[in-house]
Amino acid sequence: MIRVMVVDDHPIWRAGVARDLVEQDFEVVATAADGAAALRIVPAVTPDVVLMDLHFASGGPSGAETTRRIIDTWPDIRVLVLSASGEHADVLAAVQAGASGYLMKSASVEELVTAVRRTAEGDAVFTAGLAGLLLGEYRRMALDPRTDSPRLTDRETEVLRQVATGCTARQIAEALGISHRTVENHVQATLRKLQLHNRVELTRYAIEHGLIDQ
Amino acid sequence: MPAATDIMTPLWRGVVVLRVITAAFAIVAIIVYHDGFVRPGLGWAVLAGIAVWTVVICLAYSDDVTRRTSVVVIDLLVTLALMGSSALVLSPEQLTEVTQRTPLLTTVWASGPVVAAAVQGGRVAGALFGLAVSVVDIWLRGLFTIDLARDTLLLVGTGFVLGLAATAARRATEQLRRSARAEAATAERERLARSIHDSVVQVLARVRARGGQLDGEAGELARLAGEQEIALRCLFSAKAPDTTGEQDLAGALRLLAGPRVEVSVPATAVPLPAADVEELVAVAREALANTARHGGPGAKSWILVEDLGTEVALTIRDDGPGVDNGQLADAESAGRMGVSRSIRGRVADLGGTLTLGTGPGRGTEWEVRLARIQQDLLR
Repeated sequence: MIRVMVVDDHPIWRAGVARDLVEQDFEVVATAADGAAALRIVPAVTPDVVLMDLHFASGGPSGAETTRRIIDTWPDIRVLVLSASGEHADVLAAVQAGASGYLMKSASVEELVTAVRRTAEGDAVFTAGLAGLLLGEYRRMALDPRTDSPRLTDRETEVLRQVATGCTARQIAEALGISHRTVENHVQATLRKLQLHNRVELTRYAIEHGLIDQ
Repeated sequence: MPAATDIMTPLWRGVVVLRVITAAFAIVAIIVYHDGFVRPGLGWAVLAGIAVWTVVICLAYSDDVTRRTSVVVIDLLVTLALMGSSALVLSPEQLTEVTQRTPLLTTVWASGPVVAAAVQGGRVAGALFGLAVSVVDIWLRGLFTIDLARDTLLLVGTGFVLGLAATAARRATEQLRRSARAEAATAERERLARSIHDSVVQVLARVRARGGQLDGEAGELARLAGEQEIALRCLFSAKAPDTTGEQDLAGALRLLAGPRVEVSVPATAVPLPAADVEELVAVAREALANTARHGGPGAKSWILVEDLGTEVALTIRDDGPGVDNGQLADAESAGRMGVSRSIRGRVADLGGTLTLGTGPGRGTEWEVRLARIQQDLLR
């Protein structure tokens, strides 16, 4: 049974999502109202998947920061972001910090269940919204004169654009004349590259500012 | 404009103080050089004139209602008239032998309109008024010496530099005021967004998620709750046009999101002129309306915004039945594709390019590309 932890500061939402998941045969091992609480509880319950809100009314570490700390310490735990709309910069930060994907809070129960299952299996949950965000981030980096930021191949760009406009992996595979699995690989690669880049950047920043030894 | 007045008030106070001090200087000068005048009586009259006009103009400059361009021009004319009376009062020797250092009756007091013009109208006004006073001085004396050249340079230079300073101060204040206003509006919206997000939206989301699985009226109510939830979330994430007249296309398009419409945008804003944003949103709306009419009951739409730096791409795709190209041409010639023509027209007016991709079973995809012309010129 997949062990899930729900982190959200709104009690009605938290309880509701937990109940939906239990009804669909997930084990909800814990709930937490903010990032600080989540970081305290995670080691005790070792969930497979953490459903992460991005903003907490009580302050403390944000959803993105909590995600980064969880993944740094427990690399086997997958984090799936559940976000409200209009938090795109924060969603991107969380995904760069290692989250496996994000769902809008307006997603249906079926979408949520599928997403949690896929996350537990280690796949990134690729919604159109996430593809749009990644595409935007790569475009932004491409305009940046610094040359060491990762680039998308033409094929990866094409695949991401199609995901961002709602095409399924099957439709993309058909349109591009490649296998379903290759499409998946392209998509996952775009996310991995960005997360890796983010990690390298953080390390470089830390060394430059004397936060860690070389 | 209270804030702009606030910053200019100290400058005007300076103008008034300078006027009073220079008036005192001029009066003392008239008394000192009085013995050499050819018309001493008129000399006293000019002295009285300087005193009276100083009082009048200082009162006028102290009140922001009477600080007007017309008043500054009148100040210049009165000052030049008093200055011109020197020709009648001073002896020819006093007038022409500048080396004896006999000043005109108005002496440094004549710089008053120059500084006032600089503060009121900026560098060009300041320099022109300085030039006007200098030219009259030279004309009265009927000669041009190194001393008069120096006075000219000082007057024109003072008017120019003070005008620059006044304009810069005015702009800085205006900018400060705008950003303060924008900040206040943002803070207020965020406050509202937080409280609504923490209450109403969470409950709506729950109603929608839970009721979505139910049939009949309960399911319908849940669907309505979901629409309102998305509308509220989007409302607070959208941003108003900023002070440069640009607006975030991504934020504006997010308002179109709904149960059947997904909007994919970059994490950063996609700034475009507000009018272009309005047109592109209208294009997206028409494409969505077209899908709603012809796409069948279950059709979904996706909107994608990409910022390519020199251009912006907007893609609207649906998973409806699509049409083959022949049908589309037929439909267009038969006037049934009003939406196509309307979208084409809007994109053409914007100076963008439109690509329409469709085919049986492939859905319909509109792609609009719009070059950032103004941006490039500025860079």
